[in-house]
Amino acid sequence: MSSPPDRRFAADAEAHRRDAPRFCPNCAEPVDLASEFWEGDDRRFYCWCAACGWTGEIAPTGDTAIGHEPPH
Amino acid sequence: MLTAEQNDELTAVEPGTRMGEVLRRYWYPVAFAREMAEFPVKRVELLGEFFALWRSPSGRYGIIPEPCPHRKASMAYGVVEGDGLRCPYHGWKFDTEGACTDQPAEKDNTNFQSRVRATAGKVEELGGLVWAFLGPDPAPLLPRFDVYVMDGYRDIGWADIPCNYVQVMENAVDPHHVEHLHGRYFEFIGNHEGFTAPASFGKQHQRIGFDAFEWGIIKRRILSGASEDNDDWKVGHPLVFPYNMRVGGGGVHQMQIRVPVNRTTTRFMLYTVHAPEGYEAIEQPAIPDYEIPVFDERGQHVVNYVEGQDIMAWCTQGPITDRTTEHLGRSDIGVSMLRKMFKQQMAAVENGQDPLGTIREPHERIDLPCEKDKFHAGGAQFALDFCDMGSTRYSPMLDTIRKVHLSAAEQVGKDKAAGRPSFTPAGGIGDATLAAGTDAQVDSGPVG
Repeated sequence: MSSPPDRRFAADAEAHRRDAPRFCPNCAEPVDLASEFWEGDDRRFYCWCAACGWTGEIAPTGDTAIGHEPPH
Repeated sequence: MLTAEQNDELTAVEPGTRMGEVLRRYWYPVAFAREMAEFPVKRVELLGEFFALWRSPSGRYGIIPEPCPHRKASMAYGVVEGDGLRCPYHGWKFDTEGACTDQPAEKDNTNFQSRVRATAGKVEELGGLVWAFLGPDPAPLLPRFDVYVMDGYRDIGWADIPCNYVQVMENAVDPHHVEHLHGRYFEFIGNHEGFTAPASFGKQHQRIGFDAFEWGIIKRRILSGASEDNDDWKVGHPLVFPYNMRVGGGGVHQMQIRVPVNRTTTRFMLYTVHAPEGYEAIEQPAIPDYEIPVFDERGQHVVNYVEGQDIMAWCTQGPITDRTTEHLGRSDIGVSMLRKMFKQQMAAVENGQDPLGTIREPHERIDLPCEKDKFHAGGAQFALDFCDMGSTRYSPMLDTIRKVHLSAAEQVGKDKAAGRPSFTPAGGIGDATLAAGTDAQVDSGPVG
């Protein structure tokens, strides 16, 4: 009944299905909501866990995590 | 972006679905009191199911599923008798509680009648609307929100639009669309059609915020030229979970109602009360309702008024928008917050709890927070823009409504000259809902 999938972004839909967090980082129960949004190069998942009430954003980093160096 | 399964769960309205069970815990407007006075039986579609609604000569209402328990003919063609409804096919009769009270062709001395109870819902009239509750007992009370009980001059615009109600609700937590859809796009259309779009709608957003509260989510914005001291931020206005949004400003009070008729049809209603400072009461024996245009004669969306622009955006997303290939940004965080609220209420209902905003305590009225000075446009200017640039332009009462605002402004002038306060109907909470210097629960911080 949904509108037909937009074929231009099939890869994004597949990546979402592959990468969306499955388990709560707080209690390890299945995550109930993982709504993905994008910010710059980042993909972020706004998550909510019904079991413990945890809400947070999870951002996959791949192999590279970016650090920083304070000015000095 | 969601999975297809999550999108399906979120947008469902039917019985037996997680979201359908949440939706059945609320009251919905299913008719105008005016139409039930004109003819006392109506076929109603709500949440993907059909019902027969009737009004008895004594003023009592009943609602039962449309198919007669006997042989499934439509009770929406039934005959109102006493307080009950009699099937047009073989004359079985049901009362407002759903009990079968007559089976003309059956013997009296059997218990057949008691074995074929219809499943009756609850019905009440409030504010010129007929409201129905079709969920499990005990039914919560019908919330008496301010717009339905306050003083003022009323009308109700409506349209049945071909899309799922969730995309309409996601628009209610999407502040940025205003400056583009009702600002830049309105200006573009105005330039081509020869009118001037209201300047206040195109102001740029500097900051947006959202706060969950007892009735839903309060939406806040700071527009260019404004600050935390402006009503748009410190008061805001609420999405009233799960299918309303309370808006207003300039002496206009409105509930935008989005009834999930079925999965791909939404009854969009604009319940409006004109109650400016200096208001002089006008008697209204009945509240007028009017249909607002969705499509023109070429099948194109009508986009030269505010709500027509919204309807265009909601409907062109598709009957049920494909959230598996959307691309939300940080500015769409309110949408994610609303999805969380939907999920929270699904869990609450599964755990046997009342979902957000169900009320069981008797009450006279429920005032909702709503900015008085919207878009810091000035009260009278906002009211005039509202009349000319919004759905009110299609109201059969447009001339009267304009007079309400103009004579109220005149009255305020007289009152000021005489050194006396002007009468202003009470409606909405115009006080700050967020302490100065405090961040909203979800807050963009300064934009740009």
